[in-house]
Amino acid sequence: MTAFYVNIVHRPEMVPEYLQKEAEQGKVEDLTRGAVLRESLDIFRTQQQTAHDQGLRTTIQMTYASLFNAEAVAIAKDHHARFGDEIGSTFLGLQCAEFREQFRSKELAIWLFSIEDKRRIVDAVFGKFHEVFGFYPTSTGSYYMDAELVNYIKASYPMVRAAVATCWEEGPKAYWNANNSWYTLLDGGPWNPWIPSKRNIHCPASDSDDDIGLVAIPHLSRDLMAVFDGPGSYYGTHPQNLLRGMVNEDRELPYFKNLVDQYRSLATYNDGYAYNMMYVGPGWMSKSGRWEADYALLLKSYQEGMAYYGELKRQGLAQDLTMSEFADVYRRDRSYTRPESALWRDILYSSRRQMFWYADPSMRFCLDMNQGGALVDLRPYAAKLVRPCGVGTKANQDASYPFLVQSLYRAGYFTHYAGEGAVKSCKIGHGQEQADLCTCRTQASFSVEGDTRVVTLEPVTIEFADFSVRVQSIFRLTEGSGEIEIVRRVFDSTRPGVEVSIDEYITACYGTTEYPEDLTGVRLSLIGATGSETIDYAYQCREAELAEAACVEAVVPQVDTRLSLRADGPALGYLREGFSFSPMYTLGVKKTIVEKGELRTWLKVEKAS
Amino acid sequence: MAQGRKGKLNYRCPRCLMREIDMDMLYDAEKAEYYCLRCSFVGDEAEVLRLNTQFREKYGARTIRITEF
Ligand SMILES: [Zn+2]
Repeated sequence: MTAFYVNIVHRPEMVPEYLQKEAEQGKVEDLTRGAVLRESLDIFRTQQQTAHDQGLRTTIQMTYASLFNAEAVAIAKDHHARFGDEIGSTFLGLQCAEFREQFRSKELAIWLFSIEDKRRIVDAVFGKFHEVFGFYPTSTGSYYMDAELVNYIKASYPMVRAAVATCWEEGPKAYWNANNSWYTLLDGGPWNPWIPSKRNIHCPASDSDDDIGLVAIPHLSRDLMAVFDGPGSYYGTHPQNLLRGMVNEDRELPYFKNLVDQYRSLATYNDGYAYNMMYVGPGWMSKSGRWEADYALLLKSYQEGMAYYGELKRQGLAQDLTMSEFADVYRRDRSYTRPESALWRDILYSSRRQMFWYADPSMRFCLDMNQGGALVDLRPYAAKLVRPCGVGTKANQDASYPFLVQSLYRAGYFTHYAGEGAVKSCKIGHGQEQADLCTCRTQASFSVEGDTRVVTLEPVTIEFADFSVRVQSIFRLTEGSGEIEIVRRVFDSTRPGVEVSIDEYITACYGTTEYPEDLTGVRLSLIGATGSETIDYAYQCREAELAEAACVEAVVPQVDTRLSLRADGPALGYLREGFSFSPMYTLGVKKTIVEKGELRTWLKVEKAS
Repeated sequence: MAQGRKGKLNYRCPRCLMREIDMDMLYDAEKAEYYCLRCSFVGDEAEVLRLNTQFREKYGARTIRITEF
C-alpha cells in the first residue's frame, strides 16, 4: 500500500520579512502601516482560497502579530469551521508593535534568542493564542526549532505534537546565496519528517526515552541533489522559490510537478510511505512582484502547484492532512529504528546522476553514484550532540549538525594539491597503478532483504596498463545496526592469476562549515590480535599500519564520535594523520586478491563517551 | 550622478546570480542602466535578460515533464 501525505501550511504574516524591506525604498519602517497589513491579509486570503478551490485542507499557522489582528483571527476561525483547517501557531512573524514593546528586539529568529528569552516568547505566543482561541495549538514551527526550545514547549504545553523544525541543508550555502546575510545555518538534518531526539533536533530519536514528543517536519520538500550543491531556496516544493532559481522557461514550470512526482516515488524506498509539504510565506506573493517575477506569474505558479496536489487528491493519489493529523498518522506504525531512504535522481540538469540518501538514529549519509558510490556526506547522529544555539551559547548562530565527511565543503576526491579531501571510497590497485572508484560513474538500484536495505551499484570497469577487471560495490544497511556494510567485488579479470589490491578507506575531519577545524585531540588507533598502534593528531603526517587489524578507528572528542572500520577477515589496517595543508585523517583496510574476490567492511558511527 | 533606485522589476545582478548570490541591483534612470553594488556588473535591461537566459541554460531538463520514476 502506498500513501502520499501532503501538508499545506499558510501563515498570516502581518509584516512579511520581505515587505519590511520596502523601508529601503524610501519608506521609513512602520510596523503598523495600513497598506502593508492589508496586502498581507489579502495574500493570506488568496493562498487559502487557492487551496480550498482545489479541495485541500491547510494548517493555518498564526503568527504572533496576527493574533492581535481581529480580521486574521476571524478568517482562521471561519476556515477551521468551514473547511476543517487546523489552527496552529508559528514563531515566524514575531515582529509587531506589541512584540517590540515587550521584548525590545528586532530579532526575527526564535532559535537565536537566549534560552531565557525563548521561554518568555513561547509563553507570550502560547498565552496570546489561548486568549484569542480558547485552546492551545497542537502544531508550531519556525525555520528552525532547537531541542532546548522544543523541550521547553513540551514541558509547558504538552499538547503540541507537530512542528516545522528545520530547512533541509540551509547552511553556509543559504548564507552565501543571501549575500552573507541570511542566518539559517541549519545543515545536517533529515529531509523528510522524523521524530527528533531530546538532545538534538537534527537527530532522529533512538527510543521512547529519547523521543522529544513531537513529529518534526522540514520546511519544504527539497531537491535532494540540487540542494546539496545549490541554494535550498531555489529547488523545493515552493513555486516562488523555483522562480527565484529561474527554473522556469517563460511562464512554465514543469520542474515543480517533477519534484512532487519524485517525492511520491520515494514510497518505493520507504515501505510505501511518501510525503510533501508546501509552505509559502506571504512575502513571496507580493503584489509588486518578487525579483524577476511579476505578481501574475507568482500567482499562476502558486495556483498550478496547488492544482497538482488537488489533482492527485482527486485521483486518490494524495491525502491532504493537517500537521497534527499527519503527526498521528506518522507515529501509527513507526519503530524508532526505521530509516528514511531515498535513491534520488537528477531531474534538473539532464545528467542521469543518482544520489542515495539515508537517515536513521545512528547516522545520515549520502552516496554519489557519479563518483562510483563514494560517500560524500556523513553526520554522526549516534553522538546525539547537545549543542544549544542562540545568544549565550558557544554555537550562537551555527545550528548545523556537524559532519565527519562533507565533500563539497572539504574537497572530496578532487583537491588543488596532493593533499586529501573528505570522502569515503575505495582504490583498486595493481603494482604501481591505482584507480579510485570516485572516477568511475555508475548507476544504482535499491532492494530490501528482510530488515536490510541494499543499494547495488552497476559494475564498473577498471583499465590497468595490460589488463582490466570489473568491480561491483554493494551497500547493505541492516536496521538498527548503526553500520554500513560495504562489499567490493572484483571479477572478470582479463589476465588469469593477476594480483589486485582492494583498498577501502575513509578520509574525514569534522565541522559545520567550509573552514577547517582544529584536529588536535583526535586519536587514531589500529587494534589487532598481534598489537596496536595509536596516533594522537598533531599534524605530523604520520602513518601506521598493522597486518590483520581487527579494527581501525578514530575518536573525535570535538563531536563525541568514534568512527571505525573493520573487515570480514584478515586484512591490513592503516592510519594516516594529515598535516595543516591537508587537515584530514584517513582510516583504511587493504586486501590483495588473486584474479577475483571481494573485500567486505563495516563502517560504524558511535557515541565516543 | 543620480541616486540609484529600484527598477520596475527588482532585478538581481545576473553576474552574481551565476555564482548563486542573490544581489539586488540599483537602477540609474539617467543612464537607463542597472548596476551591482557587489561585483562591477553594469548593463541595460536587455543585457540583464540575455544573461538570465544564459543562467537558465544549465537546467537541461527545465522544459521537460518527467513522469517515470
Ligand atoms: Zn553583481
